[in-house]
Amino acid sequence: MTADEIEEYLAPMRHEYADPRSLILPALRYAQGEAGWLPPASMSAVAEATGFTEAYVESVASFYDRCYLEPVGRRVLNVCVTLSCMLRGSDEIFDHIADYLGLDGEGTTGDGMFTLQRVQCIGACDRAPCLQVDSGEQVGPLEPADATCLIDDLRDLPAPERYER
Amino acid sequence: MADQPRTLMTLTINGQVVQAAKGTMLVDAAAAVGIEIPIFCYEPRLGAPIGACRMCLVEVEGMRGLQTACSTPVAPDMVVSTDSEVAAEAQDGVLELLLANHPLDCPVCDKGGECPLQDRTFRFGPGETRTLEPKMHFPKPLDLSPLVALDRERCIACFRCVRFSQDVAEDGHLTFQERGDHIEIATASGDPYEGRFTGNTIDLCPVGALTSNPYRFVSRPWEITNTPSVCAGCAMGCNIEITTRDNEVKRLTGRPEPNMAVEEGWICDRGRWGYPALRGDDRLPGAVLVDGVGRRSVPLERALGVAADMLIPHEARVGILLGEVVTVETGFLAMELGDRVGAAPAMVRRMGIPGDGLGLMRALPGAQMDDLDHADLVLVLGGDPCSQQPVAELRIRKARRRGVPVVVVGPRPTALDASCEVVRTAPGQMTDAVVAIREHLDGTRRAIVLWDEADLAAEPGAAEEIARAMAVTEGARAIEMCADVSGPGLRALGISADADLLEAIEAGGIDVLVTISADPTAGPAGDRWAAALDGVGTIIEMASYRSGLTDRAALVLPLLTPLEEEGVLVSMAGRAQRLRPGAREAAGAAAAWEVLIGITHRLGRPVPDRTPAQAFARLAARHAPFAGMDYGTLDREGAVIAAAVATPDPRRPEAGGEGLVIVPCTPVFGDATAHRSDALASVREPTHVGLAPVEAQRLGVRTDSRVRITTPHGEAVLPLRVDSRLHEGAAYLVMGDPAVRAMHLLPVDRGPVRANVTAVAREDVVT
Repeated sequence: MTADEIEEYLAPMRHEYADPRSLILPALRYAQGEAGWLPPASMSAVAEATGFTEAYVESVASFYDRCYLEPVGRRVLNVCVTLSCMLRGSDEIFDHIADYLGLDGEGTTGDGMFTLQRVQCIGACDRAPCLQVDSGEQVGPLEPADATCLIDDLRDLPAPERYER
Repeated sequence: MADQPRTLMTLTINGQVVQAAKGTMLVDAAAAVGIEIPIFCYEPRLGAPIGACRMCLVEVEGMRGLQTACSTPVAPDMVVSTDSEVAAEAQDGVLELLLANHPLDCPVCDKGGECPLQDRTFRFGPGETRTLEPKMHFPKPLDLSPLVALDRERCIACFRCVRFSQDVAEDGHLTFQERGDHIEIATASGDPYEGRFTGNTIDLCPVGALTSNPYRFVSRPWEITNTPSVCAGCAMGCNIEITTRDNEVKRLTGRPEPNMAVEEGWICDRGRWGYPALRGDDRLPGAVLVDGVGRRSVPLERALGVAADMLIPHEARVGILLGEVVTVETGFLAMELGDRVGAAPAMVRRMGIPGDGLGLMRALPGAQMDDLDHADLVLVLGGDPCSQQPVAELRIRKARRRGVPVVVVGPRPTALDASCEVVRTAPGQMTDAVVAIREHLDGTRRAIVLWDEADLAAEPGAAEEIARAMAVTEGARAIEMCADVSGPGLRALGISADADLLEAIEAGGIDVLVTISADPTAGPAGDRWAAALDGVGTIIEMASYRSGLTDRAALVLPLLTPLEEEGVLVSMAGRAQRLRPGAREAAGAAAAWEVLIGITHRLGRPVPDRTPAQAFARLAARHAPFAGMDYGTLDREGAVIAAAVATPDPRRPEAGGEGLVIVPCTPVFGDATAHRSDALASVREPTHVGLAPVEAQRLGVRTDSRVRITTPHGEAVLPLRVDSRLHEGAAYLVMGDPAVRAMHLLPVDRGPVRANVTAVAREDVVT
């Protein structure tokens, strides 16, 4: 992803942000769409396109759980562990998925297909316990068996053209 | 000043009626009447308050919830309580949270004993912990750079260091990464935090998270004494504090009560970590006498008598040469000595730039560094403040952040180029920029012009035109970026840097030469000096460090350094400030003023002074620029001397030699102290030649090749750096390492000169 491409993407929205620092987040999200994470080259491109230093852009990116500074799997499974989900059994769901994927807690599968992580409230308490794939569909309420089916379905899908995370 | 008239507001703090100007923050209004509101992140020098640490919560009647006193401005009839039950409970709570992950390892922490977190916890904290949960642990300490150590466990995320890096030094290196209890100070991708000002983050850190590597575990606060003094590293005159333990200088810091008219509490890393030079290998430990018996050490007391004997013969013609870093008292007493020796009066001269063509520039109204805060234009003419007077860079950046146009004119690339308007001139062609300078000055009312002594002295034509343009600009004032630390002070005493002393020596007119912290053989036209000195019967060298003269001198008198002596230095803005001795590391050495007074006593014609304070009072009475001053009036802030009246001299030096124009560069990070101090090994700048790529190509050389550089005044073989920012047709001569001669390539008046640069064949290189 080049700085020019990011600048082109930002051009129509620049006027919406009074403080140019606010452009960093949409720029990061757009850059992350290419590889699913933010390699150093993407971070430099964002820095160049937004006019901030790389250190500053990295500082912003590191603040957000969903900006990935390390490579992650083709799909990121976000298991909500905040109050409603936790009371309705998110620990069990998490452990079940980890078992099924052969992971020891949070992490990425050896085939690079899935990354499993705990996240804080995703605003789906009415469907607790809930899981979100990347920044897409929220699936819930979940039974362990549903999670297994979901993972099998996802495994068969081709890699997305752009990662929405 | 164009400030609005200050509107006073009346409010009540803890039942006390307080008046404060509009815009004052509550924390300052309270401090003004002696009420302490605890703070960690608040630091006005870093810009607008950010309310990050939440320590300063106070109760304000009528406002919902508690307010941060650091970011709440005073308002009429406000009723504030800083010690009510609610406020005290909140302060307790904030401290408890700040300490939740703090390791409380005060007994092994360098900050312990002088730590705001420790002090405020005692004063405002809960007194006991309720925390049962395990604390966060990180590997520690991490080297943020070879000079700055980071302990992540102790950090309370106050953002002071990050704001310094982002908003004051503007290097953009330091940021916070992650968030919450994982938050940590870091640079992009873990590069070392290196720059010219990194040490200020240590002074700013209100906890023990950032500490000085060279000072690590060196002393505890109850074993040290702190002495306010002034840095003699460049002509900026930054106020510092010297930390001493067991008669050794252990640390230098910015002064806790900054001189806002000079450095605002910031100092550069060269100033901060130059002190190990005091214990360098080439420090002169004691007096040495060379006579019929041979070369031997003698006690200083006896050496003073020998010096007097050498100076007493009434027919002896004496010259006294003062170096680039001596106090005004030393200059004054040298003149007093000169009146008492041989065929008096002696010729008393200083090393430095004669500056004959600078009369008009020097006659312009002067300014102080804090006038930059109110300027409507900042012009930098020649030189490179970023490398030669580093803290000036911070004040220039501060002006630019206010939106003031900053224009940098000259042949050198500077660190200001990226953020300021640049008028790049060909070396030696500052005249080309005069039209642009006039245009910028046009219509300004409070322009401040920082001009480089060395560059404009080499181009008196340009200096004259610029001075005339400034003279007709309303409100325009000047600050001279002096090449020498002692220049402004000694000039005010009427001591010239004229080459007539050298000419007199060459004509056989000097029998005894006394040098005071001066080695002319390492200075401009050093070869010519070296040859001339062969004809001097007796050389008496007074110096702190071994030099090219030490082996020639009949008598060597060891001197204390500016960190060890008392005296007054005059800054480039004309501010006379006091040095106070931190330690006396060379036991066999004495201050120059002591040595000079001692010699006059042994001559049988003593000066009346017994202390530098007395010498200063006497010189102030005799020399108009210092009128009315004494050590009392200088106190901590110093005082501005009256400008010495200078007469313009229309001499126009022409560049001698042929080939590339030499652009002399004297970065403080490349100076003798930087090379003597081990601490600065990772950031010091070697003596070298810089060439533009096209010149390097022409010679068939590249970075790290060695080149021979020849001028009519001498020759040197130096390493090369190719830099695309440099001007074609010029050789940038970066000097300062005392082990590598380079300054001798310049003419005696440091005027313009051209050099022949050639590639050095491999077999020519002497290693």
